Amino acid sequence: MEVDRDSSNDFLSNLSQELFMIRETGVREEGERLIELQIGPAHPGSGHMRILAWVDGDIVVRCDPDIGFVHRTIEKLSENRAYIKTIPLVERPSLLDTTPITIGYVNAVEKLMGIEAPPRAKYLRTILAEITRIASHFYGIGILAVFLGHSTGFMWAFGDREVMIELATMLTGARITYAYVIPGGVRRDMPQNFPDQVEKGLRYIERRLKDWEKLFLNNPVVERRLRDIGVLKPVMARRLGITGPNLRASGVDYDVRMAEPYEAYDEIDFMIPVAEEGDAYARGLVRFKEIEQSISIIRQAIKKIPDGDIISPQISRLFNPLMKKIYAETRRVKFPSLLATLKPPKGEAMARVEAGRGEALFHIISDGSTNPYRFRFVTPSFRNVILFKYLIPGHRVADIPAIYGSIDYFPPEADR
Amino acid sequence: MSSQTSPQSTQMKKEDPDLKRFLEILNERTKDLNPKISIDKYGRAIYIEISNEKLHELAERLSKLGIDHVKSVTGVDYPSENKIELLIHAGSYLRTLRKYTIIIKSFLDRSSPKTRSLTDVWPSAEFQEREAWEMFGIYFEGHPDLRRLLLPEDFEGTWPMRKDFMIKTRRPGEVEGPWK
Amino acid sequence: MVYIGPLEIPGRLIYDFLHIFILPGFGAILVLVILIIWAERKIAGLVQLRYGPLHVSRRIGGALQLVADLIRYSLQEFIVPENVDKIAYLMAPALALLFAVIPIAFMPTAPGIAPPIYVEPNLLLILAVISLAPIFVIVTGVASDNKFAFIGSLREAFLMISYEIPFIISILSTALIYGTLDLYKIVEAQSKTFLGVLLNPFAALVAYIAILRITGRFPFEISEAESELVMGPYTEYSGLMYGVAMGIGYIKLYVYTLLFSIVFLGGWLPISSTGNIVFDYILGNIILLIKASILMLIAVFLRSVYPRYRIDQAVRLGWSLILILSGAAVAWSLIIHLII
Repeated sequence: MEVDRDSSNDFLSNLSQELFMIRETGVREEGERLIELQIGPAHPGSGHMRILAWVDGDIVVRCDPDIGFVHRTIEKLSENRAYIKTIPLVERPSLLDTTPITIGYVNAVEKLMGIEAPPRAKYLRTILAEITRIASHFYGIGILAVFLGHSTGFMWAFGDREVMIELATMLTGARITYAYVIPGGVRRDMPQNFPDQVEKGLRYIERRLKDWEKLFLNNPVVERRLRDIGVLKPVMARRLGITGPNLRASGVDYDVRMAEPYEAYDEIDFMIPVAEEGDAYARGLVRFKEIEQSISIIRQAIKKIPDGDIISPQISRLFNPLMKKIYAETRRVKFPSLLATLKPPKGEAMARVEAGRGEALFHIISDGSTNPYRFRFVTPSFRNVILFKYLIPGHRVADIPAIYGSIDYFPPEADR
Repeated sequence: MSSQTSPQSTQMKKEDPDLKRFLEILNERTKDLNPKISIDKYGRAIYIEISNEKLHELAERLSKLGIDHVKSVTGVDYPSENKIELLIHAGSYLRTLRKYTIIIKSFLDRSSPKTRSLTDVWPSAEFQEREAWEMFGIYFEGHPDLRRLLLPEDFEGTWPMRKDFMIKTRRPGEVEGPWK
Repeated sequence: MVYIGPLEIPGRLIYDFLHIFILPGFGAILVLVILIIWAERKIAGLVQLRYGPLHVSRRIGGALQLVADLIRYSLQEFIVPENVDKIAYLMAPALALLFAVIPIAFMPTAPGIAPPIYVEPNLLLILAVISLAPIFVIVTGVASDNKFAFIGSLREAFLMISYEIPFIISILSTALIYGTLDLYKIVEAQSKTFLGVLLNPFAALVAYIAILRITGRFPFEISEAESELVMGPYTEYSGLMYGVAMGIGYIKLYVYTLLFSIVFLGGWLPISSTGNIVFDYILGNIILLIKASILMLIAVFLRSVYPRYRIDQAVRLGWSLILILSGAAVAWSLIIHLII
């Protein structure tokens, strides 16, 4: 195996120095020429974070993201809770694409316990994960539109996202936070008319994507605002550890679904959309293309889904007769009490998934009791925060919302 | 990218020739640092345990090998053994090495955990190390900008993620004081 | 010739009162601005697959939403921050509004009747007064002790210079064709030859784009960019002043489109003076207001289509393309004037 390297050591140190260099304008005192703008949490263009920007005239000289306003200490709270109870907790930060994050956590728990979900459950998880991925991309596109001032893009994005949420409601019973994936399988089976409804929904989204192209992607003002803004070169993206569509818009075709396939992804054919320019327009475009790929994945998964159990036999072995009856009649899983207080063996497990915004990492250290000893959870937005510091300087004040919207940073997901 | 068998993500791995070759090269390049290398039973995570003084050297050798970014830098608190374990997840964007995650563990002394910052080898560790510092108290020497990331500026108390930081429940009538 | 009307004082005073306070003055402003803002929100709602304002007066589609909004702004607490320059803070929006509305007193809007203040070069007077309004907008931003308001004022200053100049050049170039600076005579000249739009399309285009910028319509809503500066120069205002700040853009739109319709679309044509003052007054004004409303609706519809430009892109556009087009308008006018 040839280990291909694309850099040598002194290039690396030069690049590190270049990355840490702040653009010098000669004047550093605040009040003389620099204005410190606090685009704070109570601002229409900032989300749940504060962006501190030092501005010389109209050019941003230095930018510092101040995050942590919605830090909910998920990692610390999970040390006091049983493994099952952490599933809704883990869902809450990344509120838009909840299912891939839940799948990651449950995969880590399953690896600890040594059980595996049956194939039908894996396909159901994949379908729901792709539905939420489309919803999450629409949210990202809507936020990009509203930060540019394009209220039509915002309303359309949320309206189209509603179609996906209705589909998820049909499958799981809840709109956004499902707690659908449990160790060993899923909690409900899909209803009879689900494949037809999914097909209707997907055809509607495909029609809407054509409208989007006319209104948003070919809009001359949008192109002026987004082209050549916030250019992220591939070398810089690799060094900074960027993940998700931001990375794929810079030319690196890294996707965890292809690199380390989980659930049903290695039986489904899909492509990874990659753009070369790395500017804000490319990042928006990659999200649109990924929606198309997700539509194709859902179609294939609905066609290929096998029959069978939706919960692993190691768990259904623990059912009492009432639970077995409910499972046989309505295909819903009720938790046996042993699952609620499960004690995995001592050890560690790690899982990675591709959420809507990038790669999420889960690492659980268990000491044999009902609560995890340490639960480490890194979300893609937390890895993308560094772009605020290195991408914005050199651009104008009006580019701050444009770049923010294009990297699709979601503060609750980053703060956990 | 389809395979004949069912999805393999949680099954035991069969022999993987790429992994063997990578482990050979890794062993050969880092022999003198005396690491303890092991793989998990699913064949995707490579655990390396190493002592703290040699951590930076190991990081440099790994980055020459192609491991070009860090996914997570954090700690695990073991108060009973008086140690804090520094847990680093690193990976690579290169096509041949994408499927592996390198997990580096290194033990630090709990009373004053100090280690050398990895930001000159892996710039992606910058914000991760800030979080590790504010949560565990691990001081990274050479970090360009070590300050609070997630906690508010007026937070008082000990390092939150250590085991001796108790989450208190407030009872009715109690006034909230600064955390212990 | 302009028919000044019966020179007895009561008739003149009655007409002046009606012109300033009812039609096309404050009464028309109130009704039209309310309807235009409602139309903007309704059109945007229909394009965006939602209802738009519907709750307040269901049977007429929510048209009285703005009345409810205005009542709410009037009753809201008006907070004056401590560190602002109080005189400037309180006077500047009022003065901006004043200078935006005064030109109505100079405009002839009906055939055969003179406006309340009639001077021969009334086009020049209108342009001069209306260009004073942005100065007070700049003062509001600087008077509020807020960095975002300050940046909003700077943007307004840049854009004011780069877009008022082409506007004035293009309007004056049409005056060049007709050979007069009197709005009444301009309309009469249009009734004899073609409409202003056909005589000098460059000037019409430049004037319309400049109107979009001056009144802050998309894609030029730059000084009050909501996702970058909270409300631009008006960030620190609340209560009734906030209502005034929101309405100022639309009132300026009304006045500018009145001017545009008189100069380019023929004002109150196709009717001409019939001798009956009341008939002339009502019909002439209504035709003029219909033309102005169509222009306002087009300007307001662009909210649903375009995002906003960046400041340097807009300024560059103003100084390159728009200025060159207005130069072309002047050249075209000279050619036409020599022909006609």
